[in-house]
Amino acid sequence: MSRKVIIRSGIPIVIIIVAAMAFAVFEPIQVLPRIRLAPGYLMTAQSGESLTSEDVRGDIVLYNFGYTSCGDICDDMNQTMQGIQARLDEVDTGDTTVRFVTVSFDPESDTPEELQAYGARLGADGEQWAFATAEPDHLANVVKAGFEAWYEQRDDGSFSFDPAFILVDGWGVIRGEYRYQTRASDTDKILHHLDILGEEIRNAHGAAGLAYEAAHFFLCYP
Amino acid sequence: MSTTARRVLIGVAVAILGAFVALTFVLPRFQPHVFSGSVIQSNDKAPRVDLQASNGETVRIADFEGEVVVLYFGYTFCPDVCPTTLSKLSKAMDLLGEKAEDVQVIMVSVDPERDTPEALAEYVEYFHPDFMGITGELSAVDRVATLYGVYYEKEEGSAATGYLVNHTATVMVIDREGYLKLVLPFEGTAEQIAADIDYFLG
Repeated sequence: MSRKVIIRSGIPIVIIIVAAMAFAVFEPIQVLPRIRLAPGYLMTAQSGESLTSEDVRGDIVLYNFGYTSCGDICDDMNQTMQGIQARLDEVDTGDTTVRFVTVSFDPESDTPEELQAYGARLGADGEQWAFATAEPDHLANVVKAGFEAWYEQRDDGSFSFDPAFILVDGWGVIRGEYRYQTRASDTDKILHHLDILGEEIRNAHGAAGLAYEAAHFFLCYP
Repeated sequence: MSTTARRVLIGVAVAILGAFVALTFVLPRFQPHVFSGSVIQSNDKAPRVDLQASNGETVRIADFEGEVVVLYFGYTFCPDVCPTTLSKLSKAMDLLGEKAEDVQVIMVSVDPERDTPEALAEYVEYFHPDFMGITGELSAVDRVATLYGVYYEKEEGSAATGYLVNHTATVMVIDREGYLKLVLPFEGTAEQIAADIDYFLG
């Protein structure tokens, strides 16, 4: 084999090796997709005061849905919320606050007092974890149409519903949708995604910000 | 100085000049556009709008396919936020010049009780003759506002103004294919708004 042929075939191999090493050393940027706009809302929280989508603008919010007399499935989902709340110090979201909002689709029974008692039973920190509901028509627009989390009241007053967690960033954009399932830990997955989101927020400006924008356009999704 | 040394010096000078020209004039042209708002990359078309214009006709986003739609939520009794935003949008249209012909600015009323279609048309046309105002039943307005991330709430005003309506003051940009692409904050300038709309005009 002539020297020329060796050099010609060697260059691409060297480039691939160098690129692979750079990839391993610098690690690719990961971002969560900007799925769609989260709904705007006006709800009533456990304090009796209103809770609006503007109140949480600038904060990362994890939503889940249920009702206080729901039983096992809501207990399981709330355990996930509790698990995330307890392990929040494992993720770094910089100056951005992480909040939790549990939306009840049973405004008739779930009065602020009921929601307050429910939160207390779960040991929820009221400053960080809100329990809220709204007037039925608005609630349907917010939860069913906006969050795309379906629910329906059965004849006996209980609800069948889509057990979802929705992660929304400070700009009011949905960044993660998780359907409750028992095979893998939602807690671990959501915490991992909070970490990715936190890193993006901390690097939102300057050259790093441009790199993160590029990651969105090249779909570097986890 | 030997000929070789002179050649090297000239070569270095040309390289420095070349690098200077590239960094100053060429590279900035290839800089990506930096949006002043938050980008959305949804696979679904923009949420459905089914509201009425002043001529009584139903307005849908799909009617404007091929144009960039700029959607804003406000009301005619709005004391400060809406006039500020509509003025900025009007200035942005001026900055876009002829390109503005491919842009439709629409204000959705979050106060359908007081904003008749006629009053709404008169109000928005005061800011720009091509602006459009749409409204409808409260239930229809609630659905549209909610899906575009807009909160609104009646609030006590003075005897002169009547009640006020607190509302989200963002501006939504929908591209020529009907996808919601950008949410602009209230703080953006007319220049930033024009630059962002221009990006979607291509």
